[in-house]
Amino acid sequence: MNDDLSAVLELREAQPFFGESGLTAIPYSLRLMPGDCMLIACRDPRRASRFADLCSGLTPLASGQALCLGLDWQALAERRAWALRGRIGRVMQQGAWIDLFGADLNILLQQLHHTRTPTQDLVDEAIALSRRFGLPGLPSLPPSRLSTADRAKAACVRAFMGEPRLLLLEDPVEQDTADMMTAFLAELTAARERGCGVIWFSREPDMWRGYNAEGTQRFRLLDEGLLPMKKVM
Amino acid sequence: MSDDLPLYRRFLGGLGGLTRRQVRFPLMLIGASWGVVSEACRPTSWRRTVLHEFKTTLRQAAGGGLFSTLFTAALTGFGIVAQAIYWLGIAGMADTTDSLLATVLVREIAPVLVGVILLGRSAMLSLTQIGQLTIGGELRALQAQGIDPFMTLVVPRTLAMMLSSFTLGVVFSVIALSVGYGVCRFNSILTMPLWTFLYNIVGAMRPIDYLGIPLKLIISGFLLSLATQLTALDATRSDTLATLLPRGFARGILVIMVVNVILGVTVA
Repeated sequence: MNDDLSAVLELREAQPFFGESGLTAIPYSLRLMPGDCMLIACRDPRRASRFADLCSGLTPLASGQALCLGLDWQALAERRAWALRGRIGRVMQQGAWIDLFGADLNILLQQLHHTRTPTQDLVDEAIALSRRFGLPGLPSLPPSRLSTADRAKAACVRAFMGEPRLLLLEDPVEQDTADMMTAFLAELTAARERGCGVIWFSREPDMWRGYNAEGTQRFRLLDEGLLPMKKVM
Repeated sequence: MSDDLPLYRRFLGGLGGLTRRQVRFPLMLIGASWGVVSEACRPTSWRRTVLHEFKTTLRQAAGGGLFSTLFTAALTGFGIVAQAIYWLGIAGMADTTDSLLATVLVREIAPVLVGVILLGRSAMLSLTQIGQLTIGGELRALQAQGIDPFMTLVVPRTLAMMLSSFTLGVVFSVIALSVGYGVCRFNSILTMPLWTFLYNIVGAMRPIDYLGIPLKLIISGFLLSLATQLTALDATRSDTLATLLPRGFARGILVIMVVNVILGVTVA
């Protein structure tokens, strides 16, 4: 099957178990094609995280299906599910950093684990991305010792590493890190042109008010479910 | 609803619940042990992240625990080996010295003391680190990146601790015996060379000891590490480090004792 014809992410009436996920236990449906971008406004960061978990196959379903690159998370063997998650770039809001490791290893961890790309090549890629996002280089301090702005930039570097097929971005840019918006949009556009599907969650929909690239859909994630949103020019 | 059930069914339910609660952790330990062994046997499990964790833990447990082991071994050599040689000589039982040292020190004391050193110095550290990740929700971050915490953290740490236990056990035995010999030689209680003294002790060991002693060290290091890490991974929202640490310590000590007693009775 041609990859370009299958959705990067598809939820078919996917209904999570309430107790397991923290999401409202109603069916969610969406279809994200390669290169498409879905902007989802959600005031509750925990709900956005849980929805991203649902898209990553980390939430068990009571009914329906969740598919990534045409593969059903529920039907996928455990090892293949881990490998498929390795193709997802994610900016997380909660518990995003492992303080056992430096920020550099945190950034490289996913690629070191899932690929055989030489470490030096990964480091070079991470340094280049870090510089594009406004960091002086690959940060090596423990994540807890980085400033909030540097952590946000490092999170974007980690998410864009290794040309992911799907990006799940939870508030990647906020008011206090708005200076990296230009770099972020440049990387986002490049990723979309490569065929990467993007879901961009934001507590402040104003952050993507000016983003009207083709193939962009807008939704609101509420207790009632995922509701389409009127486009604001 | 449960009040409507007949008394015997409520009794059976209560009994079943109690049994399940009591055997839950041992069953988890058995299952996880098999998981570690089967993952370790797959070449694809040994990825860069796993190797990094293995090397880091090995350095921390074997390298970091070396000084503690040397110090404890020296004290043991001074306190037990030298005293045993001296008093057995006084009692006219010098012929039994070698077999007694082989039995008491190498076979019984070394695995327990090395286990306690590893528990205090490395396993509790592991428990704290993984416990914090579990309580803080950071393990979710690993899972979201497609990284299995069991394969990346638990497997390499368990195997590194197992290897460290064996290494430190051998170091402990050699140093304790050497220090005990040194003290006796200094006080002119022994006149034979060190190599003859060590050769006699090795000679006093039974063939089964060559299997039993390494098994004690290897299995207690393996299960000790796994028990503390499972305690950390099993943390619930109501847990804090204050509740996890005593639980992990108690389980660790229990594992060391149970392994040593079972293997002591059955193998060595």
